[in-house]
Amino acid sequence: MAETLHNLALGFSVATSPEMLLFAFAGCLVGTLVGMLPGVGPLAGISLLLPATYGLNPTAAIVLLGGIYYGAMYGGSTTSILMRIPGEAASVMTCLDGYAMTQKGRAGAALAIAAIGSFVAGTLSVVGLMLLAPPLADLALRFGPPEYFGLLVLGLFVLAALSGGSVAKTLAMAVLGLFLGTIGIDLMSGFFRFQYGLHELGDGIGIVPVAVGLFGISEILLALGRAEPPRVQKPKLRELLPSRRELAESAAPIGRGTVLGFFIGIIPGSAHIISSFVSYALERKISKHPERFGQGAVAGVAGPESANNAAACGAFVPMLALGVPSGPIPAVMLAALMVHGVAPGPMLMAEQPKLFWGFVASMYIGNLMLLVLNLPLVGLLVNLLRVPYAYLYPAILAFCVLGVYAVNQSVIDVWIMIAMGGLGVLLRKFDFEVAPVVLGLVLSPMLEVALRQSLAMSAGDWSIFVTRPIAATLVGFAVVLALAGVASSLRGRAAWRRRLGLES
Amino acid sequence: MTLSAETPASGAGPTRDRIAGVGLVAFGLFAVWEARALPFGSLGNPGAGMFPVALALMLAALGLLLALKGGGPALGARGWKEARPGLAIFAALAFAALALETLGYRLTVTAVLLFLIGAVERKGWRAAVLVAFGFAFVSHALFADFLRVPLPRGPFGI
Amino acid sequence: MTIAKHVLSALGALALLVAGWPALAQEKFPAHPVTMVVPFPPGGVADQTGRPLAAAMEKVLKQPVIVSNKVGAGGAVGMAAAANAKPDGYTILMALSSISIIPEADKLFDRKPAYQMDQLAPIALISSDPTVLVVPAEMPWKTVADFVADAKKRPGEISFSSSGLYGTLHMAMEMFAHGAGIKLRHVPFNGAGPAMTALLGGHVNALASGPGVVIPQIKAGKLRALAGWGDKRLPVLPDVPTFKELGFKDVEFYIWSGVFVPAATPAEVRKTLRETVKQAVASAEFKDAMTKLETPIAYLDAPEFKKFWDKDAAMLAAAVKKVGRIEEKK
Repeated sequence: MAETLHNLALGFSVATSPEMLLFAFAGCLVGTLVGMLPGVGPLAGISLLLPATYGLNPTAAIVLLGGIYYGAMYGGSTTSILMRIPGEAASVMTCLDGYAMTQKGRAGAALAIAAIGSFVAGTLSVVGLMLLAPPLADLALRFGPPEYFGLLVLGLFVLAALSGGSVAKTLAMAVLGLFLGTIGIDLMSGFFRFQYGLHELGDGIGIVPVAVGLFGISEILLALGRAEPPRVQKPKLRELLPSRRELAESAAPIGRGTVLGFFIGIIPGSAHIISSFVSYALERKISKHPERFGQGAVAGVAGPESANNAAACGAFVPMLALGVPSGPIPAVMLAALMVHGVAPGPMLMAEQPKLFWGFVASMYIGNLMLLVLNLPLVGLLVNLLRVPYAYLYPAILAFCVLGVYAVNQSVIDVWIMIAMGGLGVLLRKFDFEVAPVVLGLVLSPMLEVALRQSLAMSAGDWSIFVTRPIAATLVGFAVVLALAGVASSLRGRAAWRRRLGLES
Repeated sequence: MTLSAETPASGAGPTRDRIAGVGLVAFGLFAVWEARALPFGSLGNPGAGMFPVALALMLAALGLLLALKGGGPALGARGWKEARPGLAIFAALAFAALALETLGYRLTVTAVLLFLIGAVERKGWRAAVLVAFGFAFVSHALFADFLRVPLPRGPFGI
Repeated sequence: MTIAKHVLSALGALALLVAGWPALAQEKFPAHPVTMVVPFPPGGVADQTGRPLAAAMEKVLKQPVIVSNKVGAGGAVGMAAAANAKPDGYTILMALSSISIIPEADKLFDRKPAYQMDQLAPIALISSDPTVLVVPAEMPWKTVADFVADAKKRPGEISFSSSGLYGTLHMAMEMFAHGAGIKLRHVPFNGAGPAMTALLGGHVNALASGPGVVIPQIKAGKLRALAGWGDKRLPVLPDVPTFKELGFKDVEFYIWSGVFVPAATPAEVRKTLRETVKQAVASAEFKDAMTKLETPIAYLDAPEFKKFWDKDAAMLAAAVKKVGRIEEKK
């Protein structure tokens, strides 16, 4: 413990030098700006800006990237809240209640709560990272394909909890999403599924264009069809801040989201995306007013926003402790280190204490800086809603094209976004929810690959899922949850019908 | 919203869920047909076709269920007022996708904004020109020049 | 979509006409910025090699060299984009060994190829790095002989991870398995990073990996290197023998990176580019960048690179054919 504190002191002495503070600030600012582009989240943000760090020294580069990363994550939630355009897959859930809050005139409060939640989650999980990294990293590596499959099956049952209306309709949307996720070159056999002459579909349909199309573009189209265009909001200063009640309501979800997100984030793979979905489902499940979800529930913003921030931090556990590229974002960070001749590996912490602890300390500072930077920005951003819709929506469309194109520099992605915009309008016209489509699309490739990798590991023996302790536990949980879910939904529906009968 | 979903069909014509269900069945069957060439594999060694076919069949089954239950109001009940501006927007987006890599970001976005603000929203050409050029060039300066986001350039490097 | 493509190409032609207008009056290449297509994401090997090279080329060409990451389908999207680009020297490609695998895989599945290899002409080989066979330290095998003996005892039970089906790391392993006459169990992953993570977690038993990323793990005692695919031992791993030394004479494999241009690029322009790359590779800043990455520079000019590439491509094509379609094997 004393040693940790000593190291941390070393870290802070590195991170609080004026030069490093400047890099952290620049990173946060740039990250926030890039993250505001629809579809450009942390991964795209740091990938786009990585080359700019090649000329810096390793500590400065990693501090700058850390800032960009946090900034992009925060910037992503901004567009979700203000315009219902998911900045990335992890902020899809924020669109639901965040945008509903905006429509109720609580945009400022939603943005502020997202910022506070991100700050708390970020800071607490850096503490977790610092204290728990070595033991947790070994645990994280024990997650192989069978364990991952167990986790994903568990995640899949979250879909059921997401259902707001008809179960059949929600399921249909989830299945549609899962199906769309099978497009592309099959990792396990090399077959190109549903190619239609487009090589660009090889890696599958991107989550970004689908989410931006289904949520953002469809929202604009439907808004234009309403009798009145969305009214221009003139927020007053005191309405910008969350009320005492809103703060009280968000405290517990932030705490739960942080813990949940951190542990999900540690698992190698793209597990961090799942954290926001799971957090949302959890909050709705234990809420006294589940019917408020989707209509502007504060917990629906606070939980997922904290979870995805904590998960992002958790993802650094295996990277920093073992030098393992345990997910797409840590992989880019490791690449940044390698460019500077720092060989990442299990010895990183011992061989490069200044770098390691400097990074940890700058994560604390970056978080604080982001809060300081963003709370005043809330006032500025909310003023965007003052722009008349006739000017606002063409600009949003242009930003959507810009963001979606920039992620992969692919026009095909822009076409996918347009098609998904059309699909989104149709689906919403027919009273389908679009969130399960995105969740299905996210889970599908991971689920299929994890299953088939497991079977490749065991040469086709399904018992691999019950003979490995972690996998068996997860699968067991999933089964129990599924059974409990079926039972409670049957009971719940009966009770709800009775209540409706009484009311009408 | 959930309440209205439970109300029985009113008015003439097929109900909302019936049409949606039939649509899903059609899509599911089409997807199964398209996946016919992919090897299905076995339970111990699933092939490339197993997941898509299984999911498409599930989709069709859920569609069938929905079509049989057939809840919701008649299709026409909610109106399709967004059709006209919708078409304009899709035209603008399609143009953007076609032109982006040849005309470049700035020219494409200027054209799209001119069309949407000037022609669709009829906000006056002076405002449209101002906003269109301003937005295209300022956003390009910020994201492409300052933040180094790679954006396509058009003729003469514009 | 096809209509869209027609309209697109028509618009493209129009734009080329417009863009080409001033070109008529020009005399010498390069008159405007050059684009280097990198078909892999930022941070990958191709990107890490391509960016310092582009920076060094800029100084020689006196024109900006802009790196453009065109990612997708294991590099096929970017390579196809470069192969079909206007052959004027303003589009160059930074590719890896997988350039020879993609057309073979397309052939295997009877699909329309993303590009043909003869659409691209080599300019120079930049780096080449032999792969290393690593196993988790807790595994009993101390030498390749132990490994092979065990694999013969229980065929198809020792597993290995790879960066993807028909990917470079998969092909290296198949060459070894074929040379040793053993059967291994393949678990493909989506990229070299996840493949490495799976090995460190003990979910698979072996991996053929580029040396850069495994050396820290070997030093930390997590992994053990059994052999290398190169024709001589790696300077950083002097105790690790090569497969050739051990008597596997056809087991030789390198992850290499090289610069290409569209095949129809005029000879004059190609000459300028060859000279430029030659000077760039020799520059101190590029050497410094590659030292930091622990990647050895292995420069070869176009004629020798062509020979190297032809040999490598033939070897990879044979390996892909040997593996065949997965569903037909079981």
